[in-house]
Amino acid sequence: MIAANPVSLTGVSKRYREVAALDEVSIELAPDTIHGLLGRNGAGKTTLMHILTGQAFETGGDVRVFGEHPYENAAVLRRVCFVKESQRYPDWFAVRHAFKAAALLYPNWDARFAADLVADFDLPLGRRIKKLSRGQLSAVGVVIGLAAQAPLTIFDEPYLGLDAVARQLFYDRLLADYAERPRTVVLSTHLIDEVSDLIEHVVLLDRGRVLLDGDAESLRGDAVTVSGPSGAVSTFVAGYDVLHREEVGGMARVTVRGVSERPDFAGLSFEPVSLQQLVVRTAQSRRAATAARTRDDGPVGAGNGNGGRR
Amino acid sequence: MNQVPAVIRVLFVNARITLGMPLGILFLVWFFNWALFATLADAVPPAGRTTGGLMAIYFVFGSGYLQTMTQAFPFALGMGVTRRAFYTAVALLVAVESAGFGVLLGLLNLLERATGGWGLRLRFFAIDFVLAGDPLRQWLVYAVPFVAVAFLGVFVGVVFKRWGSTGLWTVGTTTGVLLGGLAVLATWGQWWPAVGDWFAAQSVPALLAGYPLVLALLLGAGGWLAIRRATP
Repeated sequence: MIAANPVSLTGVSKRYREVAALDEVSIELAPDTIHGLLGRNGAGKTTLMHILTGQAFETGGDVRVFGEHPYENAAVLRRVCFVKESQRYPDWFAVRHAFKAAALLYPNWDARFAADLVADFDLPLGRRIKKLSRGQLSAVGVVIGLAAQAPLTIFDEPYLGLDAVARQLFYDRLLADYAERPRTVVLSTHLIDEVSDLIEHVVLLDRGRVLLDGDAESLRGDAVTVSGPSGAVSTFVAGYDVLHREEVGGMARVTVRGVSERPDFAGLSFEPVSLQQLVVRTAQSRRAATAARTRDDGPVGAGNGNGGRR
Repeated sequence: MNQVPAVIRVLFVNARITLGMPLGILFLVWFFNWALFATLADAVPPAGRTTGGLMAIYFVFGSGYLQTMTQAFPFALGMGVTRRAFYTAVALLVAVESAGFGVLLGLLNLLERATGGWGLRLRFFAIDFVLAGDPLRQWLVYAVPFVAVAFLGVFVGVVFKRWGSTGLWTVGTTTGVLLGGLAVLATWGQWWPAVGDWFAAQSVPALLAGYPLVLALLLGAGGWLAIRRATP
């Protein structure tokens, strides 16, 4: 029997009355891969991660983490470390108490690695957690997430308040450690450009639905920006999935998906599309399409059409 | 994997605060009562040198467990602890700590009587209201109320985590309406003397250990039902 993927979701939904925070989400996260969970605020990323760790409850679908449902499942949860931006620490905890607690709860805790990271991030071990700056608080989460060595490690916007140097430190340490001890990492982030070299697989959520799901390399190769005289560009991109179009004078720049050829004719030029551009353009074009459909359908009830429509 | 032992140790990582706080408060309250009566000297006749300061440690104990649920519980859940393991650890801790504090108060009771009320005929631990006779009953009378206040704190904390402030208001108003309704009913039926007689007829162990134990069990069971779908 093939071992189950660390994460396997089938048609998972989370509805609050008529609003769907997650709408029929089906994804597979392969082992020993760094996955990027991308999407705008309110796209459903945090809800998804809470469900993966048994902290929130899906209203439909099938959730599997290491082949089992995570709710109240100690055997699964001990193999998962979820570092969330909103992690609560007891008021009476100093920084070292948080690490001591994490060491007690995570069977693979690497105390030496934790000590190195504490030095890297210059964390004051004796200070009360509630007195830390936002950046230091994020660093506490980063240290726990890395040192826990959990087979499935989930970071939910772990960088809030961290400056560029500290963020780079996090990415460097994560990558070096991952290379040495591969495991499954999920990075939920807005800063797509910063992590685009790190992530191998991308899931893009928008309004609770999966917009993109694929390996980062082929997604990047899949999209291209074509520019040149408007007429030639329009002819070339006809029939493809157009994500974005800009026209100035007689010139056009169009971002399309699914174009494999790069012909050298009619003054067309091709530029690669960064992951961030691809994500932004995909989300925008989906929103425009949804808005257009909503207009065609005529007025719908207020509060409807919010994520629940396809 | 059984997470319960690890959770108990997590709840004790800062034992200086979690254990030291109730003991420190108890000492301070006792000390200020002692100092007060030492200063007042003979202004208060010996029979009046009784104080209810002992209540403080029960209050601190209960509010400690309230914070355990509002702060340590979300932390633990975020660290992959199951609700079941957390609640079991808390229940065990309540039992052990209550038993320990019961012994401590029993010993202080003996010490108070042996020292002639700390040299001042002060009655802080051995107040009439709680005297139960033999050591076992005395221990129960001291220990069981700890269990009850702890589970009251746990229950309120769980209701807050599960239903937020709406839940607290609902539980608070429901309790208020129920008690108020009973009071109105008792007044209307002129049952107050009977109620008084009933309380007077109860032994100290029944009043301070028996009924509180029932209350603790009800609150503990209610807390368990509510925590199963609680979120951090």
